[in-house]
Amino acid sequence: MEILTVENLSKNYGNVKALKGVSFSVPAGTVFGILGPNGSGKTTLLGIVMDVLKASGGGYKLFGETPTNDHRKQMGTLLETPNFYHYLSAVQNLKIAAAIKGRGLDDIERVLEVVNLSNRKNSKFSTYSLGMKQRLAIGAALLGNPDVLVFDEPTNGLDPVGIAEIRELIKKLSQQGKTIIMASHLLDEVEKVCTHVAILKLGTLITHGDVNEILVNEDMVEVSSPDLQQLKNVLQQMSGTTKVDIADKVVRVFFPAGTSDLGAINQFCFNNGIVISHLQLKKKSLESKFFELTN
Amino acid sequence: MQKLLKTEWLKLKHYNAFIVLSSFFALGVFTTNYIVFTVNKNIVGKINTAGLVSSFNPYDFTKTWQTTSYATGWLLILPALLLIILVTNEFTYRTNRQNIIDGWSRQEFISVKIALAVITALATTLLVIITALVFGLFSGTSFSLNGFSHVGFFLLKALSYNLLAVLISVWIRRTGFAIGLYFIYLGAENIISQLLDVWSLKLRADNNIDLGSMGDYLPMNASDGLLTFPDNPLKSITKANLPTDYTWLVVIMAIVYVVLFYYLSRRRIVNTDL
Repeated sequence: MEILTVENLSKNYGNVKALKGVSFSVPAGTVFGILGPNGSGKTTLLGIVMDVLKASGGGYKLFGETPTNDHRKQMGTLLETPNFYHYLSAVQNLKIAAAIKGRGLDDIERVLEVVNLSNRKNSKFSTYSLGMKQRLAIGAALLGNPDVLVFDEPTNGLDPVGIAEIRELIKKLSQQGKTIIMASHLLDEVEKVCTHVAILKLGTLITHGDVNEILVNEDMVEVSSPDLQQLKNVLQQMSGTTKVDIADKVVRVFFPAGTSDLGAINQFCFNNGIVISHLQLKKKSLESKFFELTN
Repeated sequence: MQKLLKTEWLKLKHYNAFIVLSSFFALGVFTTNYIVFTVNKNIVGKINTAGLVSSFNPYDFTKTWQTTSYATGWLLILPALLLIILVTNEFTYRTNRQNIIDGWSRQEFISVKIALAVITALATTLLVIITALVFGLFSGTSFSLNGFSHVGFFLLKALSYNLLAVLISVWIRRTGFAIGLYFIYLGAENIISQLLDVWSLKLRADNNIDLGSMGDYLPMNASDGLLTFPDNPLKSITKANLPTDYTWLVVIMAIVYVVLFYYLSRRRIVNTDL
């Protein structure tokens, strides 16, 4: 089943076209990344899906149906910023969220535990640090253990430990079979947790689909030896490569997808009098793919 | 709706501004009426003994409903202020968005704000009834429901003030600007209303055309105009020269304006980006 289907969605702010006829769908059970630089339309798209923004054209479906409030109640969503009543505590704020979602109050302690806020649960939201506010918003999204989660820049404002914890949490939720839709401009983040991806640029959908299908169009092999220049010169003579360059103290050798052979590279170097100290096959990074697509 | 109101109560019950402004209002209602009561007793009452104005006590039964409604009407700015703060807070904290994201419809969001405005109007009206009763009983006259229609006018005025507060809040969204605009609007409408009233007098005197006090046909002055201080015998003498009070017309217009405020507030929330 498709959790979200976006059909020719567009949004104009005056003369600015924030979304230009975007269409894609999110299959159930995937971790779906919506990637794009700032201003590419990620939050606008999710804002329309959450009914806080009005589309200028096109439409969308939730759970294969015309969207209703009840569909949103079945989803846990963090959109753009943590939105809470500043004068209330974490628990008091979560009581409001639970009441609107139609969930019981018994889940509040659990989600506070998950996002490590139990010890500050009775402090006013206004006294929280940016990271704590973000964690509370993620906790609120987890209320009632929904099957679909929507996270817009979930690691915003978190310290490195917090970022790692949230990534682990997302992976864990994914393993439980939940569908996660995650908008981010942090390519590294999407690469680490997403199974599917849609790439937006200035309101236009550039590509979407399985992360592996989108990214694996080239093999990149990292090779290293004491004399990198000599290594590069030798590898340039090897047949089947598309490009050879030096980056970050390694020589990178590119092959068409699925054609690299590490044994052959090792043998080739050895035959040419070079003993290699490092040999590793890497997918082309999402970052380089992303820049290639959006620039 | 009961579920929506319960959720709204969760937002309110720990909010200091709500507690402080509500307490100020309740205290203000009693204090204002006490001042009017005391001034009348100590000043106007003494004139009475000189025989200049005979037997005028604004808190006697039949008049107490009108006097309390009129005096309390001046304080309706306080609950309106509270409503502006409560509604614009949602935009400031962006909780209006979160409420929708979590599963309220836009209609539910605006409905509960309107319900809050109506409940506040009903609560202030209840306070007026209690205050009118207390001061009426202290005046030494026997209980009567004559003149109770003025309490109805008070309710209409409270609804007008509160729904205008909601309307301005959902259009302006920022607390400071919304409060500023609310006061500017009340002031501006009052000036225009007075000019229209003068014109009405002139039409009556010069051309014998009686269109009533036209200032009362403006949105806030409609409900304002319904609430007046009880006429003392001196004022009654001059009344013959004033334009006719088309009370029924003003009541209808006040109701139409309240409905219009609701309609425009709803339209804003349901149809635009939040």
